[in-house]
Amino acid sequence: MTEQSQWLSQQIDQLAAQQEKFTDRAFWLALKQVVAEQDRRSEQLGGEVDGRTWRPDRW
Amino acid sequence: MTTLVLVSHPQLADSTSQQFLKESLPDDDIIWEHIESLSSLDVAQEQAQLRRADRIILQFPLYWYAAPAGLKQWEDTVLTRTFVYGDHRYPLADKELGIVVTTGMPRQAFQRGGAEGVTLDAALAPLAALAHRAQMRWLPVFPIYQFGYLEEPEKLQLVVDYQRYLTQPQPDSLANRQDWFAQRLDGMVARLAEDQRTTGRLIASVFEQNREQIDQLHDTLAMIKEQDDD
Repeated sequence: MTEQSQWLSQQIDQLAAQQEKFTDRAFWLALKQVVAEQDRRSEQLGGEVDGRTWRPDRW
Repeated sequence: MTTLVLVSHPQLADSTSQQFLKESLPDDDIIWEHIESLSSLDVAQEQAQLRRADRIILQFPLYWYAAPAGLKQWEDTVLTRTFVYGDHRYPLADKELGIVVTTGMPRQAFQRGGAEGVTLDAALAPLAALAHRAQMRWLPVFPIYQFGYLEEPEKLQLVVDYQRYLTQPQPDSLANRQDWFAQRLDGMVARLAEDQRTTGRLIASVFEQNREQIDQLHDTLAMIKEQDDD
């Protein structure tokens, strides 16, 4: 997890904790999971771009 | 999108899971009906409701590997042969049929060799067959195992998973999940107390940036793959 993701995750946790309504809290915490998933997907896609670009046979 | 939620439970008021799900209903276009509360079944009205809906959810506790008797009675009364397929008009065609089922046994019980010895998909096969006959699209089942044992984080997760099951386009991909949250974010930020809105907006903007970054990476990959094909 990047520093920015960690910071964002804390921000969402704090915001969620301040919500009185259970369903509102649920929304923010679920959003946190999607953001974490975005991070993972970005990293994987970035890795795939690197892997496909690194083609010594085409040098 | 209009979602029709048909709940079948003989004692709804006593069911903590059903009350929880009712409290979790999203603000979207949802029609909610408790079958056993209807004094009599108005077939024309029930059928009109089905025609109006894009997604139909049958929600019930699993009683002896099936829905409660109330739902079966509703099926036998409302889903007449002529209505479903008899006149070849197929009014339910392309609508989605989803099942929200609560069970008293844990997930691992519902497999071969498990305590119940049957999967939920197998137990719910008659409903899947009905969807097939009506030319509906069967959604992956939404099971809630042992609601009474769920801890708070699991219940929080359940709220949004349930809301998404009712309203999010299928399949449940990251792209569809992102869209679902994106559509609600502005409204959720507006609901925040004033001193929390800056944080809310910041979170929303990072979410949006991440979404764009993933789109760009997909585009880049598509380009690379295209070149590789040449």
